[in-house]
This record gives sequence, structure tokens and C-alpha cells, in this order.
Amino acid sequence: MAKKNGSLNRRGFLKGAAAGAAASAASLVTNTSPAEAQRGGNAAAPVPAPTQEQIARDAGVVRPPATVRAVQRPGSDLMVQVLKDMGLEYVAGNPGSSFEGLQESFINYGNPPNRMPEFITALHEESAVTMAHGYAKAEGKPMIALLHGTIGVQHAAMSIYQAYYDRTPVLMITGRDEGFIQAHTAHDMSAMVRSFTKWDAQPRTLEESLTALQHAHNEAITPPMGPTLVVLDTEFQKEEARELKVPAYRPPQIAGIDAGKAKEIAKALLDAQNPRIEVRRLRTPQGVKLSVELAELVGASTGTGATTGPMSFPQRHPLCGPGASTAYDYTLGLEIPAAQASIIGPGLATLLARDTANIGFGGIVPVAGGRDARGGAGATNAAAIQADAEASLPLLIEEVKRQLTADKRRVIEERKAKHAEANRKARIEAITQAVETKRNGWDSSPVATARIYAELWPLIKNEDWCLASPSGFSGGHHVQLWDHNKPYSYLGGQGAGGMGYGAPASVGAALAAKSRNRIVINIQTDGDLNYAPGVLWTAVHHKLPMLTIMHNNRAWHQELMFVEYMCGVRGRGTDRGHIGTSLRDPFIDYAKMAAGYGMASEGPISDPSKLAAAFKRGLDSVKRGEPYLIDVITQPR
Amino acid sequence: MKTILGIAVFLLTSMLPIYAQRGNTQAPTSPVTGSAANGKALYYSYSCYACHGYNGETGRAFVGNWSANLANEENFIRFLRGRANVAPLTPSTSMPNFAENTLSDKQAKDIYAYIRTFKNAQPDLKNIPLLNQIVEDASKPSTR
Repeated sequence: MAKKNGSLNRRGFLKGAAAGAAASAASLVTNTSPAEAQRGGNAAAPVPAPTQEQIARDAGVVRPPATVRAVQRPGSDLMVQVLKDMGLEYVAGNPGSSFEGLQESFINYGNPPNRMPEFITALHEESAVTMAHGYAKAEGKPMIALLHGTIGVQHAAMSIYQAYYDRTPVLMITGRDEGFIQAHTAHDMSAMVRSFTKWDAQPRTLEESLTALQHAHNEAITPPMGPTLVVLDTEFQKEEARELKVPAYRPPQIAGIDAGKAKEIAKALLDAQNPRIEVRRLRTPQGVKLSVELAELVGASTGTGATTGPMSFPQRHPLCGPGASTAYDYTLGLEIPAAQASIIGPGLATLLARDTANIGFGGIVPVAGGRDARGGAGATNAAAIQADAEASLPLLIEEVKRQLTADKRRVIEERKAKHAEANRKARIEAITQAVETKRNGWDSSPVATARIYAELWPLIKNEDWCLASPSGFSGGHHVQLWDHNKPYSYLGGQGAGGMGYGAPASVGAALAAKSRNRIVINIQTDGDLNYAPGVLWTAVHHKLPMLTIMHNNRAWHQELMFVEYMCGVRGRGTDRGHIGTSLRDPFIDYAKMAAGYGMASEGPISDPSKLAAAFKRGLDSVKRGEPYLIDVITQPR
Repeated sequence: MKTILGIAVFLLTSMLPIYAQRGNTQAPTSPVTGSAANGKALYYSYSCYACHGYNGETGRAFVGNWSANLANEENFIRFLRGRANVAPLTPSTSMPNFAENTLSDKQAKDIYAYIRTFKNAQPDLKNIPLLNQIVEDASKPSTR
């Protein structure tokens, strides 16, 4: 039963990993181990169901007992102040009696109230966490998801798992009320999601609650990033704080490479005749900016992950591409996949024992020259330095500048010009080849998926846009047809392939976009939307700049093909392969669904010649602050 | 005999991807004996559209890339019967096998008749301004 001690071991490990993070975790948690919690729960005697009186109270049909005295300075005000101090923009949640004190502070405390963070009404906890997931990928920082005790945490479980798998920071708060509905509390609330949250705490006092929130935030944003959970008792939310001070917030000190290593790598980059930099997913937009600065300083051709996820090198930067020669004699990897494998792809064993050394992070990977020294996924001989790449870049840039001579500068400028021309040619060649295939089924009805991306591009190419929905099931046509030059151009996949992601992640991205004059594109697969479509209402209610275009192939299409193949190899015929895999009899009308949630919409459209005008109407609406949905009936793929 | 047949089947199936890659741009002209109307219903109910699109032009498209397996009814039926009948451990989106007890020769001919009605409707690239513009933009620095 190694897991019994996992909590303490893990905290010990993470405490070390997050050097300089705010407070010590050890004092913030209950002493209840998962095993003790189980004993306390008394497996032989199930928790009683809520009484009629309790349910009536929860439903608001009886007056609550006047046992809670009015307070001048409720503890939850201090909790919200802590969140304000950390610059958190949004909290998404739906109401739960276990955090009513905190919710009241969110909406009333501060001047102006309900700002930083603003309360975003979610219709499902799964959507609340996925909104935070999408927001963090777009913005490089967390927002808050507020979860009701036990049942809300369980609703959120799948999306927590996805955020964990996707190394995305999310700050989650759940309420705990021991004296109210027993079914909505637990001795160890976090236990049910502990194997896929990075850190959790169940503070024992109001003071501990405040530092726990700071610590949870810092753990979430310290690599390896991930969702964190703080359990806040209702009594701490409601108690009189008196003179208790809000502790000053100290951001985490994220470890980068040391000066010696920076000197060594800088020298290697400058001594190389043809250096290469492979950039994958950095933490924040600032990291992307720094990676561009480094590549330009040393004149390295650069690889990017911008078409597979956020926070990577601009796709059409002159240095982005194979460069003038692929005989690289030194490659520097910044969060390259080979180094990320230990955290991006945790197997079940890792999830069950997250305190093991398997949790690491990509870091910075110098690869010596040689025939196989192409970097990227092929750089299997690379020895990863367990340090954050983004945090390493300032020192590395400084060191490169220090070592740069006039002669080297001249050589670098010549090399950059050659790379730029070679990359331009390579780009034209790749796109010319790609468009040949994109015209397949160009005039087909239903609509070919490539045509959706092609028709949309001229309408958004001069806008500040973000494609927030995963494109794997929709052909990924943006990879060739669009131009991914911002850290948030494409936010990538679900994390763990879970459905119910596209719309809420897009809403999260749209929250990030709203105050930044950006528009969010959600090319929404139909099977995915049906998990929690209520998030469309959230988009309307909060006037989010989100254009949803349905990729409506009326099926969970990948699975239809899987089952069809299985029918075939078993010799039983494919004519029932649609059972349980397709969405027909009746077809779902997504325009009406959206209208039901108050969203402007149109469709279904199956004639490709009608797309451009519909997309234009949709974008015009979005720019007015009114999200829009267009139902497009598509070819399956 | 079984061995020789096995080798022949192996060779045939191992060459299929090559045929698939080197398909004929022109549709076959062999005789068609099935009913395209029946075939249309079967193309849908047996989920052929799922991989090949409603018009054979998308996904694993065959219109404009007519493989030898589609050259005539006999080849088509042989192809349907000769697909793998051992399930891999991981899910697959390969072409399923269609045994005779699940799809008769007559039904197969009907489907064949229907797919022979498919026309190569994609315009020439020069007639798609949108895609030409995208190629042209690629030669420029970033738009943003």
C-alpha cells in the first residue's frame, strides 16, 4: 500500500521541486491520511442520505437557522483578497452550499465588486474546469474553478484529469461543510482526484486557508504545471477574521539553468556553424518572446510546435523551418517532446504514484553535433537538464550577448538571410503540395472539412484570432492553411482525449480573449458538444467573442470506423456499426440548440457555397460581443 | 495448394497499398450489372460513407484515384472478401472485411454500381481563388 504515504511523499517532493514557493505545505493539511479517512467514513455504515429538511434548506424553501451571526470581516473576503493579489481574472463555478460564503465574497467584496476575479457562471463543474484549462493554455496563467463539495469534485474529475495530463495550471477550490449535508462533505475531500492533481490541501484554520491558496497557485504554475485543489471549510469562509492580515503574495522562483550551464550552451550555440533550436510548449507568452530573441541572436533555424499546441515559436518567423541546411552541428531543445515524455504521457502507474521521480519536466536539452543531431523527437541521445526552459532563457540570452563578437555577428547575419530564404521556399513548397489535397471534395455536399478552414481563413487572417478547439478529428487543415504566429494561435488537443472539451475550452480561451480584442474560433465536433452544451449559455451570458462552427458529421465518427472494422473482422457485417456510434434518428439541430441557450445561430448548412456569407455574419456578430454558432453538415472527415 | 493460395493472397494484399497510391485518374469503364439505387442505400447502411465520404471524394477518397480493386465488379468483390479477418489489439480504421454471409455478391454489385456514378467534381486549383491566395500569402512574411 505505497499509496498510503503518497500524500506526504508527494508533498515532500513537490515542495522541493517548487523552490521558493510560498508557504510550507506540511502545515496546511489535515493529519488525516487517506486510510484514516476511510476508517472515519465507516465503510460498514453508509453515509445517510440528506434529510427532507436538509434538502429543503438546500433548495431554499426554508429559512436557515439564525446561527450565523453577521460578521464585519468574513474570512472569505480575505480569501478573495488573496486571489486578487495573485492577479486572477476569473472564477468559474455553479453554486454549491459548501462555498456560499466564498461565493458571496466573490460577487460583493472589493471595489468594484466581482472583478479580478469575475464570477463566470458555469452550468457544470466539468465545464468550469475545462474553461480554466482553455484559459490557461491561451494565457499562460491559471483561473479558478469553484467546485461543490464531493459531488462537484466528482463532476469535475474528468476535466481535472485532462488538465493534469496536459500539464495545465488550474486553481481549484472546493467547499467543505461538515455540519450540513453529510453526502456533500468528506474527511479527505481531495482523495477522489488526488492521483491526477498536482497538489492539494485541506487547511485547518482561516490563516492556513490563505497561505494554502497562495501555495496552490504557485504549485499550479511551477513546472511541471498542473491542477491544484484547496478544500475550504465553510466555517473558515464565514468566521470573523478580526485583525488577521492577508499574507503578502510571493511568486514562485522557478529554477532555470545555472550560470555555468548557460555559459556552456551559449558558447556551443555561437561556436556552431549551423545551430538548431527546437521549441515546443513553453509556459507563457514571455517564454515565446524570449525564444525568438535567442534564435535571432544566434541565427539558428528553429522548429516549432505552434501547429500542435500553444506557447511555441511563430510558424512563419523567417527562422522557422528546416533552414538552409539540415546538417545541424548543435541542437538546443526547449521543452522538446523527448524530454517531456515523463510528464506528458504519465501511464497509469505514474498517476497512481505521482510522487515518484517520473514527474519531471521538459527543460532544456543541448545535443552535441553528429549525424543524428537533428534535435526534436529524434534527439534520443539528449540528456535533459531538469530545469524550466523559459526560466533558463534570460540567463542564456545574457550569456550569448556577452560572448557575441563582431565577427560572429556578421556570420550570424549572413546565416539568417540564408535560412530565411530557404524557409520561405520550403513553406511555399509545403503549402503548394497541401492545397492539392485540400481541394478534394471542394464542391461536395455535405461540406468537406478542408473547405471550412479554407473559407474561414481570409476572414480572420487579419484579426487577432485563437483556434481553441482540437482539430484532430476535423482534419487539422489549419496546420497548412493558417498562419500560427501567436502563442495562442492553436491551443491543441484535449489533454487525455476526453470528450466534452471543445466548447468549454473555447469559452475559457474566449474569457482570455474578451479584454484583449481577440476572437476565438471553435470548430466544434458534434459528439463532443453534447457532453455539456450548457457552456453555450455561459458564452452568451458573459458576451464572449467566440465563433462556433459545427463539424457536424452526425456521429462519434472515429468510433464508428473502429466498430465498423470490428464488425468486419468478426464476419458479422457492418450494417449495424452505426449503433451506439452515430447521432441519427433524429438528427440533432445545433442551431436550435444554440438558440435555446440564447446564442445567435444559423444552419444547418450543407452547401459549401453558402459558407463564406455565413462565416461573415458569424464574425460580425462575435465582434459585437455576441457569440454565434453555425451548424455545418460535413463529410465524415 | 493452400500455401500457394496463401502466398498469392499475401502478395495481392501487400500490393494493395501500391495500387491505392497509383490509382487511375479516370473512372473504370467495365460493365456494371448492379442497381445504383439499391447501392446508394447500401453505401449508407453499411457505412461505406464513413471512410470514403458521401461522394467518394473525401477521407479515404477513391474518386480520381481509382485503384485496380475498383476496375470491375469481380475485383471489387474479391477485394471485399479478402480483407483482414483478424482483429488487431488496437482499434483500427482499416477497411473492414465483408464476408459473403454479410454482404452478398448482388449487394456488392449494387454498391459498385453506385460508386461508379461518382464523378470527379473537384475544380482545378487555378479555379479556386481561396487556395491560390493561401499559396501566395505563404511567400510573404507573417500576416501578423
